[in-house]
Amino acid sequence: MNQAGAKQRTGWRVVDIVTASVIAVASGVIFWAWSAGYGLFSLAFVAFPPASALLTGVWLFPAVLGALIIRKPGAALYCEMLAAVIEALLGSHYGLTVLISGFVQGLGAELVFAAVRYRKWNLSVSLLAGLFSGLFAGISEAYIMAYYVEYTPALKIFHVIATGISGLIVAGLLSWLATRGLAKTGALSALASRRAHLETGKLAAK
Amino acid sequence: MSSVVSSEATAATRRGTQIVAQGFRWQHAEREQPAISGLDVQISAGQKVLLVGPSGAGKSTLLHALAGLLEVDESEQISGQLLIDGSDAFAREHPVGLMQQDPETQVVQSRVADDVAFGAENLAIDPQIIRQRIPEALEAVGLGMLPMDHRTQELSGGQKQRLALAGILAMQPGLMLLDEPTANVDPEGIRPLRDAVLNAAQLSGATLIVVEHRLDAWAEHMDRVIVLEPGGGVAHDLDPQRLFDDQELRAELSQAGLWVPNYQLELTAAQTNPQEQLLEAHDLISARTASSARTQKVNLKVRAGTATVIRGENGAGKSTLALTLGGLLESVAGELQATESLANGLGNSPFSWKAGALIARIGSVFQEPEHQFVTQSVCEELAFAPLRAKASGGQELKYDAQQVDARVDSLLARLGLQHLADANPFTLSGGEKRRLSVGTVLAAAPEVLILDEPTFGQDANTWRELASLLVEQLHLGTAIIAVTHDEHLVRVLNAQEIHLSAPSDQAPAKTRGPVLDAPVGDSWLAKINPLAKLGAVAAATLPLITTLDWLSALVIIVATLLVFPLAGLSPARFFKRAWPLLIAGVVAAWGIALVGQDSGEVYAQLGIFSITEGSVQGGIATGLRAFALALPCILLLVSTNPSDLGGALSQQLRVPHRFVLGALAGMRLLGLMVEEFSTLGLARRARGVGNFGTFTQRIGAKLGQCLALLVQALRRAGRLAVTMEAKGFGIGPRTWMRTATFSAKDAAVLLVGLLLGALAVGAAMMAGTYNLVWG
Repeated sequence: MNQAGAKQRTGWRVVDIVTASVIAVASGVIFWAWSAGYGLFSLAFVAFPPASALLTGVWLFPAVLGALIIRKPGAALYCEMLAAVIEALLGSHYGLTVLISGFVQGLGAELVFAAVRYRKWNLSVSLLAGLFSGLFAGISEAYIMAYYVEYTPALKIFHVIATGISGLIVAGLLSWLATRGLAKTGALSALASRRAHLETGKLAAK
Repeated sequence: MSSVVSSEATAATRRGTQIVAQGFRWQHAEREQPAISGLDVQISAGQKVLLVGPSGAGKSTLLHALAGLLEVDESEQISGQLLIDGSDAFAREHPVGLMQQDPETQVVQSRVADDVAFGAENLAIDPQIIRQRIPEALEAVGLGMLPMDHRTQELSGGQKQRLALAGILAMQPGLMLLDEPTANVDPEGIRPLRDAVLNAAQLSGATLIVVEHRLDAWAEHMDRVIVLEPGGGVAHDLDPQRLFDDQELRAELSQAGLWVPNYQLELTAAQTNPQEQLLEAHDLISARTASSARTQKVNLKVRAGTATVIRGENGAGKSTLALTLGGLLESVAGELQATESLANGLGNSPFSWKAGALIARIGSVFQEPEHQFVTQSVCEELAFAPLRAKASGGQELKYDAQQVDARVDSLLARLGLQHLADANPFTLSGGEKRRLSVGTVLAAAPEVLILDEPTFGQDANTWRELASLLVEQLHLGTAIIAVTHDEHLVRVLNAQEIHLSAPSDQAPAKTRGPVLDAPVGDSWLAKINPLAKLGAVAAATLPLITTLDWLSALVIIVATLLVFPLAGLSPARFFKRAWPLLIAGVVAAWGIALVGQDSGEVYAQLGIFSITEGSVQGGIATGLRAFALALPCILLLVSTNPSDLGGALSQQLRVPHRFVLGALAGMRLLGLMVEEFSTLGLARRARGVGNFGTFTQRIGAKLGQCLALLVQALRRAGRLAVTMEAKGFGIGPRTWMRTATFSAKDAAVLLVGLLLGALAVGAAMMAGTYNLVWG
């Protein structure tokens, strides 16, 4: 019975796989709508390009949201990588490197959920996952993939901090709020997170 | 038409299965009452059964149980027996076909042949045999004329259902289960679908169980009718003829919300009393977006206290016209004018009104109620519009807080939703959601009420309530405009009709938004193994990550441009794909030129930034590198179908097929979700969610729209998962109808990619421009 219970907690059912896929695709649609409305902000970034890092979180939320909804090992990684594939197919700017970015960003969030052994899905874990996803993205972009090799050292550090903050708020906080909102509608009824709105978070918003 | 039977001569497999339920009981893990209890029934092989009952009678649960899809978490959930040909249904020893009502999630794959093959592949049937079954199955459901590579997304709802049926036939199940197969299909699609089902049952000899609440199309063709009772077992088990003859039975079923055959209306038609004119359309032409199909010219006068019905075939743009009349879309040509009595102090174009002013004047009810829910409870939902409705001049509020409360209370009572005041709108039943969505719009007392297919898929009870609500509104002097196929509704509303036919000079509307599975054509590159192409692109571009110099990037860009003819890309098509990348390259170059490391001559000084020789060179190299990384991907994308890439990943690289196919099934929904996202924007404006307002309000509105998209996406995911599981997905090893191969040509492509990568880096090193980024 214990074994069966454990398997159910960690094994992916068909509904988990399909849901994770559809979340990633919906995120692709949101990216797409987001880029279409990007003009709103771009003026600010022509003036000071590094500030665009503050919006990185939008590209990170599938990782945290996917994990919070599916609650299975690998969910953050899978959702973020598939969202990156969709982004690439929709005409991304970065070519195959999005796969690497997707992996790194997903990994940041995944490691946080793994550290709590896939047992806690509360606000603090979610914020931490968003933060790490952002930091991983920032560090990889500034130092490993080196998109910003021409930045001064100070700007590189600014970039990492900005992506971290963005990840914390957009990917961490908004994903947690979204999961609760979705659970209330009953749309998660077939999933492990179906009672997310009834779980108490220490910093519960409402 | 007998092809399915004739080519598969193994008669033993071509017969129906027998079903036996003995004291069967099932309870959902989180419910207090069992969905089914004490069910005793026996259905003999090959019988055609119509399964009916009021909502909550456990019809869908029984079908899911027979398909082996119910999850058993705890032993107390289940008791008694449910046997298919003597073995436990939960053991899934016999293939069982299941079709649900939402056509979008009955199709799994993006190409017609792949979709038919999907279930058979999951049952690990020999690819050779599957390839034979595909044309036979398509023929049997009347889709024999479709090319094998036809995009499933371009089929109508009724055709999608028939395609799903072909996929079920290819599995050769002994039992076919259909859960309201025609509920979401337009009237003209119902008959062909019904005939396809009957033909499929005839050819395969399979036992057939159909759940429906509209009995007209089915009753005379079935062998038996079983009526279930809520939370229990069989209430009636009878001959279909009694649905026509037995008045007592007809009354009982009608009371339970079923549409019995030849149903006679009890409502009397509205007494219309035309009053002042509110809206006038003059040569009005509408279109969803600038690039999509346009409607015919429409001339129309809308008077208070009258009803108008918009009719016409699919693709004529009825919904688009309704959106334009509702002030949600801008007209493309011609005029839509509100009279002074409707505009009440505002300009005469409804599209120019802000959301709060619009909802107090013209209310639009969308076809899908969930698209218009914007709050967390029924009560808030009803209060939402009156709290925002703007009166004359569009400035002051139409209602004060007390009046809002009074309106909410009276609507709750009128709609029979008092006991649900605090419930989340998304958790209501289908009929309750429909009533609520009409109520939320009526709450702001608009003088014009526009409804898109309000009665579509509704049971007879909800229908009666809706119709009486609308008649009441007509008598109160509201003008009603409805897009509908429903004859009964037209008669009850005593409506004038306008008929919209499809504009003849235009090609059928194409899917809007991005498409992931556009046809790849038959260029030289299209025939290369997707993994070889992927590997070549990776080998050519990834070395560029190590260096920031203009030469290596330029080598890759030039080489890619030389290869383009192999992908069958014209310069025009190429530019269409590539221009966003060019812009991105320029933006990246600018960013670095501005903030990059400075050295050499100073060209310009902008505040704290300086543009120097060094930073400009860095900028150019950065821009070129971004472009060189992205450009080869266009080659891969235009010449590769994602399904083929997935198949190759799974067959040749052993990536788990459950994840590959799950991802592909999700990706098929992309176009649909893009469309849904834009519909949500309009549906929410029709509720008073503005796209004007402060920055925070606009961000809030956008986030709400994203959440609403996720709700719809999750609902679809749930239904899609059931479809895939019913088609045997994920139970074991599978076969592939399209076998991936790797030839010498494929190897050559991979090799060229490797050489290019080496050449780019080598050239940069020789020229001394190589610039290691980690140095």
